[in-house]
Amino acid sequence: MRGQGPRSNESGEAARSSNLWRDGLRRLRKNRLAMAGGVVILLLCLVAVFADVLAPLPYTKTNFGRLNEAPSREFPLGTDQVGRDLLSRMIYGARVSMLVGLGAQIIVVLIGVPIGALSGYLGGRADICLTRFIDVMYAFPRLLFVILVMSALGAGLTNIFIAIGLTGWVGIARQTRAQVLAIKEKEFVDGARALGAGFGRLLTRHILPNALTPIVVSVTFGIPEAIFTEAALSFIGVGINPPTPSWGQMVGEGQQYIRSYWHLCVFPSIAIAVTMLSFTFFGDGVRDALDPKLK
Amino acid sequence: MKTPRITDAQVDLLAERLRAVGVGRREFLKVAAGLAAMGPAGFNHRPADAAPKLAPGEKLAKDQSFRYGGGGWWQDDPTSHDFNKDLYCNGVPALFAGLMKFNADHQSVLYVASKVTSNSDGSQWAFTIRKDSKWSDGSPCTARDFEWSWKRQLDPASAAPYAAFLYDIRNAQAFNKKEVTDPSQVGVRAKDDWTLEVTLEGPRGYFPVLAAYLAALPAHRASVEKHADKWTEAANIVCNGPFVLETWQHGQVMVLRKNKHFFGAKDVVLDKVTIPIVPVASGALPYENNELDLTSLQTGDLKRLQSNPKTVEEVFRYPFPGTWYLIPQVTKPPFDNLKVRRAVAHAIDRANIVKVAQGFAIPAHAMIPPGFPGALDDPKIKAIQHFDPKLAMAQLRGTPFEGGKNWPKVTLTMRDEALGSKPLAEAVQSVLLEHLNMKTDLEVLEPRVFRERLWKQDLQFVWIRWFMDYPDPHNEYFDTFYGKKTTGKRQAWVNDAFDRELEAGRDTRDPKKRMAAYAKAEEIMQTDVGYVPVAWTVRYAAAKPNVRGIERNRQGEFVLEANIYVDMLPHLYMIERA
Repeated sequence: MRGQGPRSNESGEAARSSNLWRDGLRRLRKNRLAMAGGVVILLLCLVAVFADVLAPLPYTKTNFGRLNEAPSREFPLGTDQVGRDLLSRMIYGARVSMLVGLGAQIIVVLIGVPIGALSGYLGGRADICLTRFIDVMYAFPRLLFVILVMSALGAGLTNIFIAIGLTGWVGIARQTRAQVLAIKEKEFVDGARALGAGFGRLLTRHILPNALTPIVVSVTFGIPEAIFTEAALSFIGVGINPPTPSWGQMVGEGQQYIRSYWHLCVFPSIAIAVTMLSFTFFGDGVRDALDPKLK
Repeated sequence: MKTPRITDAQVDLLAERLRAVGVGRREFLKVAAGLAAMGPAGFNHRPADAAPKLAPGEKLAKDQSFRYGGGGWWQDDPTSHDFNKDLYCNGVPALFAGLMKFNADHQSVLYVASKVTSNSDGSQWAFTIRKDSKWSDGSPCTARDFEWSWKRQLDPASAAPYAAFLYDIRNAQAFNKKEVTDPSQVGVRAKDDWTLEVTLEGPRGYFPVLAAYLAALPAHRASVEKHADKWTEAANIVCNGPFVLETWQHGQVMVLRKNKHFFGAKDVVLDKVTIPIVPVASGALPYENNELDLTSLQTGDLKRLQSNPKTVEEVFRYPFPGTWYLIPQVTKPPFDNLKVRRAVAHAIDRANIVKVAQGFAIPAHAMIPPGFPGALDDPKIKAIQHFDPKLAMAQLRGTPFEGGKNWPKVTLTMRDEALGSKPLAEAVQSVLLEHLNMKTDLEVLEPRVFRERLWKQDLQFVWIRWFMDYPDPHNEYFDTFYGKKTTGKRQAWVNDAFDRELEAGRDTRDPKKRMAAYAKAEEIMQTDVGYVPVAWTVRYAAAKPNVRGIERNRQGEFVLEANIYVDMLPHLYMIERA
């Protein structure tokens, strides 16, 4: 964290900022809910990374003799309608969810932050144009727009990144712009400018690092949103293509059989719910920790 | 009287009429098949007696109330019951009776008409109407009512969306398009109260078929004039069918009562019919909660009902002959390679794949399901694409994919549809991975997009079904795979020898020779792997043990109410529960 902040020898402001991160971490540690969320997230990440080791069976392994079986010792979460081990599919599903959560946020940051920063920094006509553009994008109903993009691109993991990224950057762009607008008037920026710092250096070295707090918070909330969007897309069948498992897709297929085979949709639903909850707790914690004023 | 000959050109015209009202090719073919099977009595066939035939020990129930729905019947509230204005109003057909009706074999038989006659070429028809034909208010339902109703449908002022249905009638089109403004110029006329004379644009031997369809049902003039668009509300409706509409709580339930003025009332046993409006997604729940007496079933529900000793006897099969198969597109790699196609054909573990359908499918080794004309139980045919994983892998020898390596990206595409189809497709994916190491992506397309891309033969690998329209191999091969088809062709695969067999099947009259031609065609297509048959469909419904009278077709299978056959309710009756 520290390395990303401005170097402490540059200004007094920067020294305070590095303390902010340390203070933040301290405050976060004290927040039990947030820490619990963090632990779950960490576990999920491990599951996602080591899915190949953890899963008892390959996610494609079917067993036509053992369809829709309820949880048992052999299949702890039961089997699905093609006789695949639900637990293994859930484990691989975690990988998809985490990939989407992080992958989409990378695209969101890569689009949203530069646009927001430019808009805020340049001001004037450029700002008006960019803000109007952001407003127009903001006006689209998010999920519908994602579905539209998905149907244009076709289903698939990469396309989900793109679809969520293309539609999700608006919020972060607005926040970045607001931050940059405020920070660019600060004395230390004037100071840096007076010392001869150019446009690029000012923005990347002096302004953005100080605008990071809300961006970080926004990203922590963006991840679960992306995960949920993927789940929703796969639920309605425009997300991940089978046989690759995704929690949303599993719920979508399983809910049709809920009265006959409850386990098909209950377990993936729990997984989605727990993941969302963990990210929300963690995100809340991060926000409270980094921005005590909000509390 | 001799029934006028119906030429091929006329059958084409019939198809056009039905198409104009949105009747798909599939439904049209059912009707055409009924036409072809019409006996020497022609259209003057008497409908089967609807009176109940009680088995020994059975007693008619005192309470003749029947409830049906779910599984696709009335998912949405009807827009009206005004079939005369809009045949797709989604109303209850049993409220009305047309001059003719379709029986369980999709043949047009007498209904309100007691006799049909025509001139020698079929350009003029006369329907004699039963003297006991009445509206539900007790007033007679005469030829004048039919004349008025048909003219109402054609009147441009009614703006009936499917008026083109009646364009065979002289000047009907001109009148509908405002080229003729005098309704008396339209070729339908009540000669007297009991004779409806219809003059057509030309010879139309099939006209009584049109007269049996929903679009030819009458409307009650006085009610229409008094209540306009609201005339089919429960409080206003006057109808002439076996039932009347007692209540209609929009979006919730419709209740019908037996119409005591109906001419066939003595044969109608049900007194009350309740039709709740339920979405398909609720499955068999309303049936299991004893809110319905008859419903059609979905995958999860079938197994549960069959495994319950209380309900197992209530489940029955009904014909829905269909074939699930794969199209490996011969224009797209890797399926441009015959060896690859053969490998796929031998890798399909049909017996295992159908298990995922849980009763809704059985393994298929050819196009035509067992029990239908042209079905092949020939070991030679069965051997062509039999399941043998070693043989499958061996086919790849000498190809770039030897040993199941180097597969390009393979996308299996299917149509987004109800339960049952996707698990089967996933099972296919699984056996291909297991036996050929071929990894496939499953792409589920929205139906319209799917059809468009299918017909462009733009899809690499397709999971698809064909539902039989009428029981003749012509439908299963010619309508499906004929290489010279100009529209709706599903696969790029073409084979001249195959096409010649289909032409022989079409042009030959000798049934034995015909079947031999189709068997040969199947052999050619399977050997060249133009398609890979996987499974035959089966459908199930459930009826409470006290429901009787569901009609059977000539093949002996139960027939349930759909869009052509709408004569189910008058045949049903309830017996006392044991």
